[in-house]
Order: sequence, then structure tokens, then C-alpha cells
Amino acid sequence: MKAFLKRAGSSVVVLAVVLALNFFLFRIMPGDPLLAIADPRFSPEAKARLAVQWGLDRPLPEQFAVYVKEMLSFRFGLSMMTSAPVWDELKNRLPNTVALLLPALILSTALGLWGGMTAALKRGSIVERIVLTCGAVSFSFPSFFVQILLLMCFAYAFPLFPLSGSASIPPPEGIKSVFDYLWHLALPVFSLTILGFGGFALYIRNMMVKALGEDYVLMARARGLPRGRVVWNHAFRGILPPVLTIILMSLPGVVSGAVITETVFSMNGVGRFLLEATNSHDYPAAGAAFFLLALLTVGCNILTDICYVLADPRVRREGAHE
Amino acid sequence: MNRLSRGFSAICLAAFVLLAVTGPGLFGLPDGEQAPPYSVPGWMDRKIARTILLSSDSGALSWNYKPPRRVSVTGELNYGSINWSTPERTFVLTDSPGEVDLDARDVPFKRALGMDPFADLPKALFPSGGEYRLWIDGEGEAVMKIEGGRWGLLGTDHRGRDVAALFVRGIRVSLIIGFSATLIAAVLGVSLGLLSGYAGGLTDSLIMRAVDVLLSIPTLPVLMVLAGVWGKGLWNLVIVLSIFSWMGTARTVRAMTLSLRDAPWVEGLRALGAKRGYIIFRHLLPEVLPLLLANVALGVPGTILAEAGMSFLGLSDPRLPSWGRMLHEAHTYGAFTSGAWWTILPPGIGIAVICLIFMDLGRKLEERADPRLVAKVGAEALKEAAE
Repeated sequence: MKAFLKRAGSSVVVLAVVLALNFFLFRIMPGDPLLAIADPRFSPEAKARLAVQWGLDRPLPEQFAVYVKEMLSFRFGLSMMTSAPVWDELKNRLPNTVALLLPALILSTALGLWGGMTAALKRGSIVERIVLTCGAVSFSFPSFFVQILLLMCFAYAFPLFPLSGSASIPPPEGIKSVFDYLWHLALPVFSLTILGFGGFALYIRNMMVKALGEDYVLMARARGLPRGRVVWNHAFRGILPPVLTIILMSLPGVVSGAVITETVFSMNGVGRFLLEATNSHDYPAAGAAFFLLALLTVGCNILTDICYVLADPRVRREGAHE
Repeated sequence: MNRLSRGFSAICLAAFVLLAVTGPGLFGLPDGEQAPPYSVPGWMDRKIARTILLSSDSGALSWNYKPPRRVSVTGELNYGSINWSTPERTFVLTDSPGEVDLDARDVPFKRALGMDPFADLPKALFPSGGEYRLWIDGEGEAVMKIEGGRWGLLGTDHRGRDVAALFVRGIRVSLIIGFSATLIAAVLGVSLGLLSGYAGGLTDSLIMRAVDVLLSIPTLPVLMVLAGVWGKGLWNLVIVLSIFSWMGTARTVRAMTLSLRDAPWVEGLRALGAKRGYIIFRHLLPEVLPLLLANVALGVPGTILAEAGMSFLGLSDPRLPSWGRMLHEAHTYGAFTSGAWWTILPPGIGIAVICLIFMDLGRKLEERADPRLVAKVGAEALKEAAE
């Protein structure tokens, strides 16, 4: 429990840093922050009114306190472009991002686990060769290039999947809309799975090969235990904590990947919202989208941490000694 | 064979660097608009005409392609007229003396030839296959640019720029950003890692906490916001990228320093009264340097990919041709609905090849810096052979 609290504490620190970054990034611009929202030709009275409206007339620490309170209660303010509440727009887009990332993460982890284990157990097999190739691809090919190639193959040359968007226009009714949504989601999720799977499987393969050569595995084998138990209960159990660590380390990359994937496939997600907001200098919207993506990462971090504490008896029993 | 493959990636890298430095000057690569948008590569479809410059002095042109996409005439006329003979009839293109600058898209030009403003003039000028001739009745000179749908080695992009030229120019940006951002990150990582490993205590835990936090923030959104706030220049990107890629190096260097700090020979140095700075810079730094070199080489692909990602999202300087930018433009301006694969494949494959080269180099440097790595692999192979 204590170990878990310690880890959760570090997640809170991450969140605090994100908040601070988010706040100061938009205020370290050279000159007056007002210049970002107001035209220099505005009259002084209008500028003053804008400053009051955006709370820029108050001292910086007070601004920061107000800002943190607003962010934590999901009141992100109004978009500078549309003057609509940012949270309303984000609320609609968040499910799309989660629906993209969650299946991709689960699929690539499951496939990576299976592929890595098979590759380690059957050295020289076709699975091992696939794992090695996919690993090299995921480390050296830009993700968007792979996705564009997939689009060219499966949406343009052989139009099995839609070219872009999250739903057909006009959207179909009833149960059909669900299938339509899944049909639009298929290619992005597939591409993220392929890209994520390679590196993960490669990592598991390398660790597993090393673990299978360890003395304790040899001992288990010498004791005449069945092969399945040796592999899963001894060798794999031993590498489980570092495997969880690698999942944890890959999460920020996965969330970053959402921005690119949503751009390539023109999906209505938080990532593309962030891109659009950044391009149109819509700072409240960009800040909110950034905060939400960071929150997503931190949430996943905490989940992985719980698994880690459950998986590693050394960490779990740390508290029991006290 | 092994020896050959050992040098292969280094040779490739040298070739890339050479191409990046001398390429644009050496081949006299064309800049700016060259041919109609999305012209196919020159070696592809023989039924489509190349872009041809036909001067009034050169003789007849035998033409058996489809009509060209654009036609323009430039030159100077002292007196007389510029004429264009087709197998069917002869056009008088202009008879007013002075500078000549005619474009088949211009409405006044169409009017002067007695056509309605919406007519497809190139089609009228090239009605069928046969012999064509540009000639001057009088004195002057004229050049007709007949822009077909084929161009150069790799065709053209959505603005009619030469893709091969853009590709060669793009190498430079990838290499500059990859090298300099990784170098800055390496210097940061080494100094912070050494400091953290050697000093220990509060400094150590502060730096390591910073590493943890930076590693668990999604980098790309931060980079996007920073690019939006600070501007999209090349060096801004380098600085921003290096701020977010020193953590791995710092961790490695710290671990090495920790294991070295209490080694007997370092203890001996301390007992001899060596100062901290002397130990760090004269003894610990050379010790971690070889591995660091490998780390840098292995870090370059990450930076190149990050730059490509940023450019792909349109967050790079639009005046700088880079591979990510080419893919961004191909994606934004519908290259695949035009089937223009030549704007997509070269930059993408270029990025992948450069990354593979650096990974290969890094792995070799790593082996050289730490021969135990090879030995370990060898021992494993032996063990396997025994089984």
C-alpha cells in the first residue's frame, strides 16, 4: 500500500508539472500576454476590459491559483476562435480518442505478448522473423508514413476501408451507426497495433531469451516441472515487472501517437483538436486539450502502477515489514 | 562478407552527408515551380509528353501524345509575327513587336486567337499527332514551353516542384536536426547524469525526479504547444527537441557513474587527494564516453522521427524543405486521391533508411565500446548450440 502511495505521489507530481507547464508556456511569450488575444490596434479601454475578462489584471500567483482550480474542475473557459465552451467540444471528442487508443493498446499488448513468447520459445521460426522485422519497422519508420501506406493500400487502391473521418456522411441510423463507427475505426486501430506490437514483442523476446537461460529456469527444468509451468510460472513471472515498466514507459508515446493518427485519418479526436487549436493560436483550447491528454497518460500510469505493485512481491511486501 | 556489411552503413551515411552538402549545387537542382502539379516521374508512362522547350530556331517537332497540360511562349519580337503550324492549320500567335510573354491560360491570348474564354487552348494548339513547328516570319526569337505530364526523376508535387530536388534538399534538415538536437541532448544528459551520479543526495533525487516526470509526459503535445508559442524555426525545433530527449542518456550515465564511484581505483584517487572536478572530467568522463557515442548514434533516429512528426503536423518552417514537410503537403493536398505515390514514398523511405543507418551504426559502436556485449551474445550462442 505504501509503495503504491509513493508511486501515486509521483503521478501527482507529473500532473502538477503539466499544470505549471501549461500555465507558464502561454505566459513566457515575449511581451504582454494580452498581445496574444488582443489586436494591437485596440483602444486602451478595450484592452483593459479584455484583461479583466481573462483575469490578466491580477497578480501572477493569484492567476495561477484560479487557473489550477478551473483546470481541476474541468472548467476550461471559452475558445478564442468559436467562443463556445472548450469542454463541450472536448467532451464530444474524448470518447473517440479513447475508442482509438484503448483497443490499440490492448491488442498490441496481447499480440506483443504472444509474438514475443513464441519468438523466444521457437527461435528461428517464422514468428521470430516477423517479430524482428516489425520491431525494426516500429523503431525506424515514421508512424504516419506506415499509416499513409496503409491508407493508400486499403482505402485508395483497394477501397475496403474509408479514406477519412469517424463516421459516414450522412451517418446511418440505429445499430448500423455502430458498425459504421467500427468500420471507420478499423484501419487506425490496426495501424497502431502493428506499430506498437513490434517493439513490445521484440522486448519480450529479448528478456525471455535471457530469462530462459537463467539458472533458476534450469533448476525448474531439472526438477522435472512441465514445460508450460517452467515457461509461465518461472521464466515469465520473473520478467513480468520489467515488462510492466516497459508498458508504462510507452504510454506517453501512445498518447502522442494519437495526435498523428487522428491527423492522418482525419478523426474527430482530442489530438487533432489540439493541433487545430495550436495552429489557430487558440490558447485556452490548446491548453485544455494538452491537459486532457496528460491526464489520460497519468491515468494509465496509475493503472500500470497498480499492476506493478501486484506483480512484484518485493514492492508489495515492502509495507508489510513495517 | 561480415567486414563488408560492417562498413556498409557508414558508407551509406557518408553518401547521404555528401549528397546533403553538395547535392543542390552539384546537380543544379531546379527550385520552384517546374511543371504542372503531380506530373508523373519521367520514366513512367510513355504516352504522356515530357516537358519540352521548343525554340523557334529548332526545326519541326513530331508530336504523337495527348495534348499538353500547359503551353506558354516567351521571347522577343522585333518585327513580323510568331507563328505556330499544326498539321491542320497555322496560328499567328502574336504580331505585336516587343517582349513576348504568352500563356495558353490567359483570356486575352485566347481572344486574340479568336476563341471563347473557356476554350481549352492547349488542345486547340495540339489537335492531333503529326509535325508541329514554331517559326517567326520576320526577326526575333521565341521559346515555347510545352508542359506535359511527365517530369524529371520523381515527378512533381502539388505545386509543380521537382520532387527529386526537394528530396535531396530534405536530407539536410533531417541530418542537421538529428545531429544537433542529439548532441545538445547528449551534453545535457552526460553532465546531469555525471552530476547526479557523483554528487548523490538531494541533487541526485531532484534530477532523477525530473527525469521521471519528463519521461511520463506525452512529448509531442508539449512540442506542438511550444512550436505554436515560440515559432516554427529550425533552431527552435532543435532546442525544443533536445530539451525532451536527454533523459535516457542521463539515466545511463548516472548508472555507470554510480557503479564507478565506489570502484577501488576511484577511491584510490580520492585517497590521493584528487579534487572532485578532476576525478569527474579526467577519469569518469573518458570512461563513459565510448558508450555515450553509441547512445548518441542510437538517439538520432528518435530525434529525426520526432522532427518528421512535427513537420508532418505542419509545425515546421514552411520555407525549409524537409521530408516530414513533403509528407505533410502530400497528405494535406490529396496526393493519394491523385494517385501521386512519388510524393509519398521517397521521403518516407528516406526517413526510414536514415534511421536504420543510425541504429546500425549505434549498435556497432556499442559493441566496440563494450566488447562484453558481443562476448555475452557469443556465450549465449554456445549455450544454445550445446542444447
